Amino acid sequence: MSALSSVPVESLVRLVTDAVASVHDPEYPDVSIADLGLVESITVSESGDVAAIGLIPTFSGCPALDMIATDVEAAVLALTEVQQCTVEWLPGPVWTNERLTDRARTTLADEFTVVLRRKDGGLRCPICGSDAVVDQSLAGPTRCRSVAWCDSCRNPVEVMR
Amino acid sequence: MHTLADAPTDGRTWSDLDDFQAFIDAGGMVEPGDDMPDEFRSEVFRFIEFHANSELMGGLTERDWIPHAPGLRLKQIFLAKTQDEIGHAHLLYMVAADMGVKTRTEMLEQLFDGRSRFHNVFHYKAVTWADQVAIAFLVDAAAFASQRAVFAECTYGPYKRVLKRIVAEEGFHMRHGEEMLLRLATGTDTQRVMFQDALTRWWWPAVHLFGPDSPSGDTDPLIRWKIKSQRNEVLRQAYVQKYVPLLHGYGFDIPDNELHQDADGLWQAGSIDWEPLKATMRNGGPDSARRIATAAGNWADTAWVREALEQ
Repeated sequence: MSALSSVPVESLVRLVTDAVASVHDPEYPDVSIADLGLVESITVSESGDVAAIGLIPTFSGCPALDMIATDVEAAVLALTEVQQCTVEWLPGPVWTNERLTDRARTTLADEFTVVLRRKDGGLRCPICGSDAVVDQSLAGPTRCRSVAWCDSCRNPVEVMR
Repeated sequence: MHTLADAPTDGRTWSDLDDFQAFIDAGGMVEPGDDMPDEFRSEVFRFIEFHANSELMGGLTERDWIPHAPGLRLKQIFLAKTQDEIGHAHLLYMVAADMGVKTRTEMLEQLFDGRSRFHNVFHYKAVTWADQVAIAFLVDAAAFASQRAVFAECTYGPYKRVLKRIVAEEGFHMRHGEEMLLRLATGTDTQRVMFQDALTRWWWPAVHLFGPDSPSGDTDPLIRWKIKSQRNEVLRQAYVQKYVPLLHGYGFDIPDNELHQDADGLWQAGSIDWEPLKATMRNGGPDSARRIATAAGNWADTAWVREALEQ
């Protein structure tokens, strides 16, 4: 297969990166998988037409993995410059919620009322800003969230683990 | 920018129902600390309790099928869906209990005693794996359309915030439903016959899920108070419009002899027999007794966990 375009590899990497970032998490339709910290590596072959994407899962049992990989492949192959794309779920590094970008944290808090635990272990209510948030259950609706309750504004709050 | 996380203004009062209606009509959102009218509290509570019960009973069904799902991947998906549904029920029971009408334990005990209600679709027996596919493809889609229409307005803040996440997750389930249907639809003759039989069993319950036509004019309080954004018949019609061509496209037959396209090309379902729906609302559906007894058995079997947590 020959190089199809005169686009330099660095520009292609940028195009592929944008395409990957256009994929949203199936369970958070407003949040890019790049902002969730799932994207670990993006390489484009010297010939410029083969892209390899390395992703890491939030939790290994996550039921969305195949769907995300399919969406990533479709988004990258939609670029006319790319002929082949492989998507791999990497065994490491292990995902932690420190990989979330500020943009993801803001959207999760504002739109999904999902928060992260502070370094001191405390929780701040994304709805009313109170610290009166009490853990309820380690298991939430998804592998990556637990459930808490805000005693101040009386809303359930979910916590990204 | 207005977001779902806007700090609520607590403790508002309204002089009467007209005053409250004006607040709703102006786009107001009711919060737990507000002195909401009793009528609103009881209607919204009943609606959320019904939703919570349905998530719980639905989750128990998903769980029953984990061992039967063909292959590790589908087992993983059913595990995750079970966790989703039970988690949704948990969040909804928290919101409902906070309204002060019934405690969570009262809601659960009434459900397991057969004195409460839950979605009609969980009163039927899933016979084969294809039934689970039909449920994922048809019933989840109907539930999704109905929940999305509640989320679109939904004037009770805590419910709307929980619905945001529920709707996102149900959308994700629907994609699994489409994928599972595609596997059967493009499979062997036996698989196609299995799905056709399941479709014949589940089409009407899915259509029934939207309920009979909403009361005429603005007499439905849930519509007037903007908990529901759409009338039942509008949602049902949109569903028929979307799913008839999809199922026909895969070469399946819909068990409705009177189904036809009108002069505008819109699909019109035949006359609907509502008796089966009414029976499920009395917990007298084909599988109601077994399902309620199984759920009650779970509740009894796990009493020791609750006791241990209270120590």
